[in-house]
Amino acid sequence: MTSPRTAERLTRILAMLPWVIAHPGATVDEVCERFGYSRSELVKDLNLVLVCGVPGYGPGELMDAFIDGDEVVVDAAEYFARPVRLTAAEALMLLAAGMAIISAESATPALTTAVAKLQAVIDADDDAVSVDIGAEPEAAVALRRAATTGNVVTITYTALGSGETTVRDVEPWAVFGTLGNWYVNGYCRRAAAERVFRIDRIREVVVGEERFDPPAVSSEAEVRYSPSVDDVTARIELSPPAAWVADYYPVSVVSDTEAGRVVDFSATDPMVTARLLLRLGNAARLVSGSEVESATRTLRERILARYE
Amino acid sequence: MNRVIERVLNLLAFLLTVDRPVTADQIRHTVAGYDQETDEAFRRTFERDKDLLRQLGVPLRLEHTDAWEVEQGYVVAPEEYALADPGLTDEERAALWLAASMVRLGGHAAGPAAIFKLGGAPAAAAGEPLTANLGPEAEVLELLFEAVAERRRLSFSYRETQRSLEPYGLAHRRGHWYAVGGTSEGIRVFRVDRMVDPTSGTRSGAFQRPTRFRLREELPDTPWSAGDEDVSISVRFDPQVAWWARRQLTSDAAIAEDDDGGITATLSVAQVDAFIGWLISFDEYAEILDPEDVRHRFIEHVRSA
Repeated sequence: MTSPRTAERLTRILAMLPWVIAHPGATVDEVCERFGYSRSELVKDLNLVLVCGVPGYGPGELMDAFIDGDEVVVDAAEYFARPVRLTAAEALMLLAAGMAIISAESATPALTTAVAKLQAVIDADDDAVSVDIGAEPEAAVALRRAATTGNVVTITYTALGSGETTVRDVEPWAVFGTLGNWYVNGYCRRAAAERVFRIDRIREVVVGEERFDPPAVSSEAEVRYSPSVDDVTARIELSPPAAWVADYYPVSVVSDTEAGRVVDFSATDPMVTARLLLRLGNAARLVSGSEVESATRTLRERILARYE
Repeated sequence: MNRVIERVLNLLAFLLTVDRPVTADQIRHTVAGYDQETDEAFRRTFERDKDLLRQLGVPLRLEHTDAWEVEQGYVVAPEEYALADPGLTDEERAALWLAASMVRLGGHAAGPAAIFKLGGAPAAAAGEPLTANLGPEAEVLELLFEAVAERRRLSFSYRETQRSLEPYGLAHRRGHWYAVGGTSEGIRVFRVDRMVDPTSGTRSGAFQRPTRFRLREELPDTPWSAGDEDVSISVRFDPQVAWWARRQLTSDAAIAEDDDGGITATLSVAQVDAFIGWLISFDEYAEILDPEDVRHRFIEHVRSA
């Protein structure tokens, strides 16, 4: 097995050489900053290049690579004068990332022109890829600004599970878009704990004067779910049309066969699970979980009563 | 590791300058670093090096070495090897790297390899309070993107039916990735997370993309606008959920304000099942007013659950 470190080092060498060749007189500092080298790493890589070349491997066939004073010198390496093309995965990832930020209406003009230039060379069709994560809602923009400046916000929030509306003081840390929704995470003073809020469920944001100290290590922004003792867990059987649930919710998979998946689904409020079950219709079946069973029955009756 | 790097740099320099297909045997006797004692040891080393080159993105091909097609040799064509220079400015490179660090696909942000190839940039500062997650399906997307770019046919199982697709494009809309392309029944949209065991054909250039095809025009704005149905549905949303419904309805929905602060929305729906699923998130605070058969479908769906 070739170690990933070897691939990373080769990638960097094959990218650094063309840039130095195209920029005669480039300084050590410039090369280090641009390619994330420390001086000693750069010296090591240049020393490797120095002993490589084309068959014959005499002085005339080996590449020249060394540091002269402050300057990085590369010579006799014309065949490495161009960087390697992007792999499909690299091209997709860059385009998708750029387009995602643009669609969130958070792009700088430089990003917009960069994506257009990139698309012109790696996407011959001009629209082989399109990414739209939806514009950040107005509340998200305010929350992100508050996260940057460290201002406490007061939000009016309607919970997904209970439908209950509360007003909370929150120290916002980060705004993130995932699975088609926007979220903010941070420290909720009302709950005295870290919380994640779905932004489209926030009716109102008031940015206060008070400042808070952002956490030293910002937690990875994601819709995490860590089961707690108060949780309600139900076992659900998902037939193939509903199998996607296992990819989109934090469930633990009990079994996975062609006939379907069986998962344990946990939530703080049984209403969340009940709503999901009603949505899935006959593509899902509750195997066990009495609280969820009664919540589902209640919700079904409430909805059907409306149609009588 | 140094020995591997030296050998691979020598191999790549040779392939880029040799100007004709070269056999494994020629490489073994010409390129510095292939002094393994046994055939088996050479074969293993060479296989590893080829994998490494492909991993870096080097287009390594096999071609016949002569007109009689007896022997095959390796080729790296310099014009295929080199990145077409997009002409980015330093500011644009930095903006791209920042964007890449803000977006996760398959749980990860992009590594620096692509930015290095584009000419490098100072590492993006961490701590930007905005990130986006484009879903878990990174490996499948890589396969699909390659198929789109190289015009390879795809086959996969979808809703328990085996399908074949000429993929024209790949799109992410509100949390989901879609593959769009030609089928025997015309242009169709498939949700990537519902494709089972996708594989791409061995032949590149297997089809032509219609010149009039526009990816954005084929994509749904909402989950219920992708489908074969065409129904106009009226829904009443009660005052306590009206604000939330408004946020999610697109501009083509006609909204009438009711006296009590609720709203009545009339919209066209192409996939009734998806619409019913969405409506359930409003509990009993929404009601389908019209048409009668959709009302009935909704009731049946809720009963069946």
